[in-house]
Amino acid sequence: MKKPNLQSVVALSIATAITVSVHAQTDITTTMTAGQAAQIVRLAVPFPELKPPTAPAPALVDTGKVRAGFFGPLTRDIAYSGIFALAALPPSVPVTPELLKRVEAQFYLQLNVWTEGEEYVVEARLSDQSGASQLKKRYRGPEAALARTAHMLANDLMRTFNNRPGVFLSQIAFASNRGGNWEIWLMDWDGANQRQITRHGALSILPSWSPDNERMVYTSFARGTSDMYIINRRGGGRMRINSGLALNTSATFSPVSNDIAFVGSVRGNPDIYLIKDDGSNLRRLTTTTSIESTPEWSPNGRQIAFTSGRAGTPQIYVMDAEGTNVRRISYDGNWNDDAVFSPDGEKVAYTSRVNGRFQIRVANLITGESSIIAGEGSNEQPTWSPDGQWIAFQSDRKGRRWQVFRMRADGNDLLQLTFDGENKEPDWSKKPE
Amino acid sequence: MKKISQITFTSLALVLLILSPACRTKKQKVEPVVTPTETMAAPDIPPPPMPADTSVPEPKDFVEPEVTAETFPSDMEELNRYVQGKGYVRDAFYNYDEATLDDAAQAALTASANWLKGKEGAGYSLLVEGHCDERGTEQYNLALGDKRANSAKDYLVTLGVDAGRIRTVSYGEERPFEEGHDDSSWGQNRRAHLVLVR
Repeated sequence: MKKPNLQSVVALSIATAITVSVHAQTDITTTMTAGQAAQIVRLAVPFPELKPPTAPAPALVDTGKVRAGFFGPLTRDIAYSGIFALAALPPSVPVTPELLKRVEAQFYLQLNVWTEGEEYVVEARLSDQSGASQLKKRYRGPEAALARTAHMLANDLMRTFNNRPGVFLSQIAFASNRGGNWEIWLMDWDGANQRQITRHGALSILPSWSPDNERMVYTSFARGTSDMYIINRRGGGRMRINSGLALNTSATFSPVSNDIAFVGSVRGNPDIYLIKDDGSNLRRLTTTTSIESTPEWSPNGRQIAFTSGRAGTPQIYVMDAEGTNVRRISYDGNWNDDAVFSPDGEKVAYTSRVNGRFQIRVANLITGESSIIAGEGSNEQPTWSPDGQWIAFQSDRKGRRWQVFRMRADGNDLLQLTFDGENKEPDWSKKPE
Repeated sequence: MKKISQITFTSLALVLLILSPACRTKKQKVEPVVTPTETMAAPDIPPPPMPADTSVPEPKDFVEPEVTAETFPSDMEELNRYVQGKGYVRDAFYNYDEATLDDAAQAALTASANWLKGKEGAGYSLLVEGHCDERGTEQYNLALGDKRANSAKDYLVTLGVDAGRIRTVSYGEERPFEEGHDDSSWGQNRRAHLVLVR
């Protein structure tokens, strides 16, 4: 659905000679020339030279660290970008214009990596078949930032061809019990760099990003009851949002205001409520006696999808953000939950029971069509990447324990992202960066 | 003990004398044989009534004193295991995707309410945890667990337990009692779990 659009955008961008300005230390504005209208761009990316381009290496650089920390993530990002294909270069052969022609590379990404003191410096130069420079950037950071450098460069390559960033710097929040208790963790989009964010020492679950990717809201049982908390992405600034209600689950930030939608309960009647992120202005949106759960905002903040048992089984509904104009959108199966809007607002992915197992279903809100896109085991809690190209979800296909997986929105390129302990409830950062 | 203290020393001595041959054949503690002294006016005491037949009934073990006051564990975790084990406090179990109480669940809660209103239970508050089996989705089940916990709480209140003593929490399917993936485990995991708290 999205893929053809993306490719036509690529072709269009290149054909119309876009100007891209980038924000980094060394920043050379480049111009893409017309005539390279191939749908997939073939890119030659040899392993970096471990020295500055025009000088000998000031210090010995560890090849293994550069390969694992930088080159591996970079080439994987490029391979998964959807707009690049990596030209197959023979190893240890100098890259010449003839070689680039032979492997049909349209562009050549020349990389140099060296160290200056404690810092790694990465210089990337992109040139076309004529040798004309298309992009030149230099990145600088500690060893621990090598992967981030790779993702920044991959994003800059995407911007150069696509006029918008890739997904490579996005983060996935999730819950993990690897430390004994369920706590909130974060990882890079490729599953690397997994780190613990909350330290309640108590059941802490259901993380959800703020629209600026700076904070998360989640539920913790640290006080013996379930409460809503906000924490920043580095693990600081934790605060409890006191709604005065029970449950306080499935909390999610509005994309356009400081409202949080969540499930609150009074005397065993779970409903959808709104509250400001400072704990003020509690409002009730649903008023049935049945169970309402799992609110999720549309990207423009005007609608909220949620789950309700009002028809006898859990089904997906959409209402306006004021609680009005409720309509049911799922009719397939007898248990549907976890609805999430795609970033363009046209689709909703949700968990849907099919033949006794949960699967990820994607429904098109415009055409009303839906399709199942997961496979083995039980598959729940989908979340869209900020560019709408990917869906992360939890699956128990690897032996009855939850792990987080990632796949394209059409179900291809499945990749397991977590392995340590049990891991679930992925929530992909919202803002492209 | 009480009986023994009521027996006068002399009559005890006499009885022992008479019974001593029989006693020796038993594995009971052998009491030292006491010989009556001169100060004891043995002839004034009427002879102990002899059993009609000469066979002496075999002595029985001492009866252990009966415990009339029940000792409850002071550790709350142990206490909860104890009252659940004794059936004083009983969990309510639910049908799949249901939060209504069937007869068995009502009986369990009635027993629990009676104990909570009695003199042993009156000092405790109650936490009612709502739990679900793994077959639903996590977020909806958190809400379902809340409904279950509150259905149990409401019933306890109608049976006369003060609502102010009862707190509820839903764990959804986050804390199963049984880890299995079969009907029996699922049945165990759909419950309102009653926990005594101070």
